[in-house]
Amino acid sequence: MNRSGIALKIILFSSGIVLFLMIIGCYMIIQYEVSVLNDMTDSKIAQTENESRVNFFREKKRFAAQIQSQLENIILIMKSFDIIYEQTFNSQIQMLLTQPMIMAASFCNQEEQSFIVSWKENNTIHVASQFPKDVNLDSFHIIKKQTGLLSISWVTVYYSTRLIEKEILAVKEIKIEELLQTRSDIYEQLKGVLLTQAFGTLIIIAVLCVSLMILLKIFVLDPVNELIEVSNQLKKLDLSVDIRTKFYSHELNELLQGLGKVLNGFRNIISDVQDNATLLSKSADDMTGIAEQLTNHSVDAESQSNNVAEASIQISGNIHAIAGSVELISENVQSVSMTSEYLFQNINSVANAIEELSSSLSHVGERAKKGTQIAEQAVILAQKAGETMNQLRHAANEIGGVSEFIQRIAHKTNILSLNATIEAASAGSAGRGFSVVAGAIQEFAEQSSRAAKDITNRIAGVQKGTSELENAFADVSEIIKEMNLSSESISYAVIEQTKAVQEIANNALEADERARNITFAIEDLSKTANNAAENTTQVALGANDVSSRIQSVSQTISFNRQISHQINEAAIVLTHLSGNLKDMVDPFKVRSDKQSVKNNESETLRKEKK
Amino acid sequence: MPSQSKKLPATKRQFCTFHLAGHYFGVDILDVKEIIDEVTLTKIHHAPTEIMGFVNIRGHVHLVLDLRLLLNFSSKSVDESSRVLLFHPKVGESFGVMVDQIGHMVEVEENLIEYRLSDDSASALGRDYRKANLEKGVCKLQNKLLIILDASTFLNAVDFKR
Repeated sequence: MNRSGIALKIILFSSGIVLFLMIIGCYMIIQYEVSVLNDMTDSKIAQTENESRVNFFREKKRFAAQIQSQLENIILIMKSFDIIYEQTFNSQIQMLLTQPMIMAASFCNQEEQSFIVSWKENNTIHVASQFPKDVNLDSFHIIKKQTGLLSISWVTVYYSTRLIEKEILAVKEIKIEELLQTRSDIYEQLKGVLLTQAFGTLIIIAVLCVSLMILLKIFVLDPVNELIEVSNQLKKLDLSVDIRTKFYSHELNELLQGLGKVLNGFRNIISDVQDNATLLSKSADDMTGIAEQLTNHSVDAESQSNNVAEASIQISGNIHAIAGSVELISENVQSVSMTSEYLFQNINSVANAIEELSSSLSHVGERAKKGTQIAEQAVILAQKAGETMNQLRHAANEIGGVSEFIQRIAHKTNILSLNATIEAASAGSAGRGFSVVAGAIQEFAEQSSRAAKDITNRIAGVQKGTSELENAFADVSEIIKEMNLSSESISYAVIEQTKAVQEIANNALEADERARNITFAIEDLSKTANNAAENTTQVALGANDVSSRIQSVSQTISFNRQISHQINEAAIVLTHLSGNLKDMVDPFKVRSDKQSVKNNESETLRKEKK
Repeated sequence: MPSQSKKLPATKRQFCTFHLAGHYFGVDILDVKEIIDEVTLTKIHHAPTEIMGFVNIRGHVHLVLDLRLLLNFSSKSVDESSRVLLFHPKVGESFGVMVDQIGHMVEVEENLIEYRLSDDSASALGRDYRKANLEKGVCKLQNKLLIILDASTFLNAVDFKR
């Protein structure tokens, strides 16, 4: 669609215009023809009307002349007669009236007095001496003639032209009708003619369009398509295009040939440029690599020299610091020696105090041991008391059993005494004495029973007391055990403390000696420190010298580095330029696809190397 | 069947007293044969509820009645202080009664006893009749009253239904 766009558009547009013009032309032709036809018919109608009018006048004149001659004939006839009879007049007048156009006639005497008249009324001829008053003769034409006769001086004829007019009108209408009929016939035929005309023109236009398209395709479109293809490939910067030049149109062939020549030249130039750019970029890459290496080396050297310089500065700084601190040390050592003397004194007093502490601790230990022994004895005693209590409880229980026994005996005794009383009563007065004894026994039994109850109650109290006492003893023994335990731990702790204190005392003695040694050593140290301070000052001076020299070395190296960096930058710029050149040239496709593939491979290889 | 001693002009009488359901009762000492503790009862099946069982005293078998039930109190199980009063054969066929607790032998003047008027009219029926016959009178002691029972009526009061 895009490629054949122009031709199709031209053809469609032109055919559309032609069609439009055709339609308009057809319409105008039809209009024109119709108008011509109408004009013709109108003019014909007008002509016929004129002719009819002319005919009418001619006929009228001819008719008037005819009547005149007739009248003259009549007058001649009259003159030929010597004696004229009334019948003659009648016949003459009736003869006149037989003509259809003559409506009335009259003969007059010298005084223009009519003596015989005749008129037509309802197709019957009336004859009278005078016209009745109801006959109107004003609408008719009049021809009056003098005869020269004595009896009849004037003859008057009345006639009407209506019949002639009627005839002529009928003729005219017939003609006009014929004309209209012919016009409509012509219309019908014209329609057919126009339709065939339109179809014919349409077919002609179609044939024209088709032939135009074919011609356009052959002469213009094919070369133009070739041109479009070539331009498309050129758009992709593909210069490896073959241009065909065998077309039917001579001008386009020449154009394409010229283009091909230009392309060939351009292709050669670009391929040369590409090769050169490749070589250039390779060499620039190499140079960049070398410059980078150089820069790296110089950077390393600079950093190392910097490090060395910094280290030397640090060393000199450190040495200074050492010198300062050595001086400080010597000062400090002096103060330390003073402090160590104080220390020595203090340690002495501490040792004395510790000895006193140790003696008092050993005293405490002895006391704690004694406390432990007492507690153990207390425990034993408490256990013994508990056992005694147990025995006491057993004894109480036994007493309880005995008292129960006593109670039972008392009951028995009571029953016995009752039975005895009963026996005594049954014995009557003889048993009276026995009854008294039985009463005494009963009383005794009751008393013993009460005593046994009392004993039981008391023993229950005793048992309760003993159990409480036992519990208390158990508590006491537990407390004593705890006491024992704690006093044991106290004594153990005291022993440990004593040991520790003795160790401390030993240490204090040793510390005493050491402190004395320290005092001596510190004096030596202060002397040595002074010497060291002097030496370190000298070292610091040397170190400063070294560091300044190293700094100068480092500066030189950094200068070197800058130069190599500049070289590197230049190389990079070169690489960049060559890359740009290649980028600019690369898009142009010089060789056909296989060759270009090889080219690409070599490029990629080069990039990888990069 | 009054005993001979009753008819004697002796002015003093002796009673064997006991406690039963909080009340103080007594029987004539001449009717009592013996007081027994430590009794082993042998139950008699299908006997009336008032009969507690047999007891063996030195080879002789005695019937034991529940005096609580006879006196219309509620029954109570045997415990430590329970005793059996055995009566003389002259009072009835060899039998005894169970009491809650034995008391003393009491000697009282005849005039301190107020006998209950024996009312033989037939209006006293049922339990009233029984109880009325059991009680013989009341003896006024120093600070309390002693209800005197007639031992000879005990066996008759047992409700033998068959």
